[in-house]
Amino acid sequence: MSFLPIAHALASRQDLPVPAWLFAWGASIVLIVSFFALSAGWREPRFEQPHSRPFGAGLSRALLSVPAQILCGAVGVFLFGFAVYAGLEGTVAPDRNFALTFLFVTCWLGFPFFSAIFGDLFRPFNPWRAIGRAAGAGFRAIAGQRAAHLTYPERLGRWPAVIGLLAIVWLEVVYGSGGAILEPEVAATAALVYTVYALAMMALFGAEEWCDRGEVFSVYFGMFGRLGIFGTHDGRLERRRPFTAATTWATVPGSAALVLASIATTSYDGASEGAFADFIETGIGWAEDIGLGVTASIRFTDTVFMLLTFAAVSLVYWLGVRGMRTVPGAPSLAKLRTGFAHTLIPIALAYLVAHYFSLFVFQEQAQFTYLLSDPLGTGTTDLFGTASSGVDYTVLTANAIWYVQVGALIVGHVLALMLAHDRALVYWPDYRKATASQYWMLAVMVAFTCFGLYLLSVSNG
Amino acid sequence: MLPLAHAGHYALWILYVLPVLIVVGAILRSAIAVRREDREDGKPG
Repeated sequence: MSFLPIAHALASRQDLPVPAWLFAWGASIVLIVSFFALSAGWREPRFEQPHSRPFGAGLSRALLSVPAQILCGAVGVFLFGFAVYAGLEGTVAPDRNFALTFLFVTCWLGFPFFSAIFGDLFRPFNPWRAIGRAAGAGFRAIAGQRAAHLTYPERLGRWPAVIGLLAIVWLEVVYGSGGAILEPEVAATAALVYTVYALAMMALFGAEEWCDRGEVFSVYFGMFGRLGIFGTHDGRLERRRPFTAATTWATVPGSAALVLASIATTSYDGASEGAFADFIETGIGWAEDIGLGVTASIRFTDTVFMLLTFAAVSLVYWLGVRGMRTVPGAPSLAKLRTGFAHTLIPIALAYLVAHYFSLFVFQEQAQFTYLLSDPLGTGTTDLFGTASSGVDYTVLTANAIWYVQVGALIVGHVLALMLAHDRALVYWPDYRKATASQYWMLAVMVAFTCFGLYLLSVSNG
Repeated sequence: MLPLAHAGHYALWILYVLPVLIVVGAILRSAIAVRREDREDGKPG
């Protein structure tokens, strides 16, 4: 998030009672103890069967009614349109323009955070889905029949969303790095280009089909929504046991890549200004030596490092899967790779919380004060009388941020272990073999925890 | 030239890698022990 001045910029150093690396050791011990506790006390799968209680029929009908859907869709379209307008017409200063904070902080971080608790909150407000569905309804009304769509290629799965996720993070992190600021106008133009693309895909494959598979934001936010407690089933709202919906998430091709891309891009964003900074600088020097211009060198090197991070994170997961394959009775590598992908969702969430929690807290103060009152950042508007407010950086101390980061990483990885152990009991009904298979996932979890804490310690130090 | 200006700073990564190495080492040791036992018992694989 290099377009915002406070991104990753913890002004004060922490004053921790023990060295930061000891937290990595402590977190590893917590994981190992959790692992053995799971092995001893969890001998039947508990998440595989749906556990849900439907809402009352009246409440469910009201919340899922057509007028409610139209209202939510209209709110989504209005806010998106307003953000684009602010981007195109407002100030070029990224931190004074409503567009960037709304798109990249409030939505990009807010939906994963809150969807992980409450279920997929983005779906009803998805502006592209709302437009696509409205267009479909219009077509039906005029033509008297449903629009004919192509069959979505099964093998394509969620891969368009994976590529889209990498492209969005590239725009957010790489395009706006090294002094080449991501201007609100560029973000707004990119949003318009994406809108054309999304609507074209919806015309080809249908709005719901594209939102389920290829529409980046639906797929990405929906992934976190699988952890949450509310969902719909057979056209009815339901309250479900947390995390149970995640177990059926990764059946579509490309799902493992999506969650790995999420972990990798967050890691890269954190590392690019910390652990990788000097290496990236060296890479930029090499790129300049071969004749690339300054900006091109920065973007080229950043892109290479982002892709290398994706490859490294994928390799760690792949090694864990290879390890599980050595346990007698193991299913195929492909089945293991897909079958355990959902266990990484809490890790992706933990990485997001750890890296962006403070940014979210600080920047949302801006969002709901001066950016709301003066969305274009022109200094001439004060809609709610809060245009002169500022961000209070004292609401969080450096130590508080660190403890939230450590806590998020530990909780996320323990949840991941739990989901993995549960899935292992499906593949290996003998709990001893299931436990043996999970030694490898324990190694993966310890590796991701220590890697995450290392990145944070370097960024914060 | 490799970046050496912050070598001390980066050397800290060893402390973060050690827990991973310990866990992986323990897993490999356990896997080798199981295989040896299986071989001695005459079990296949």
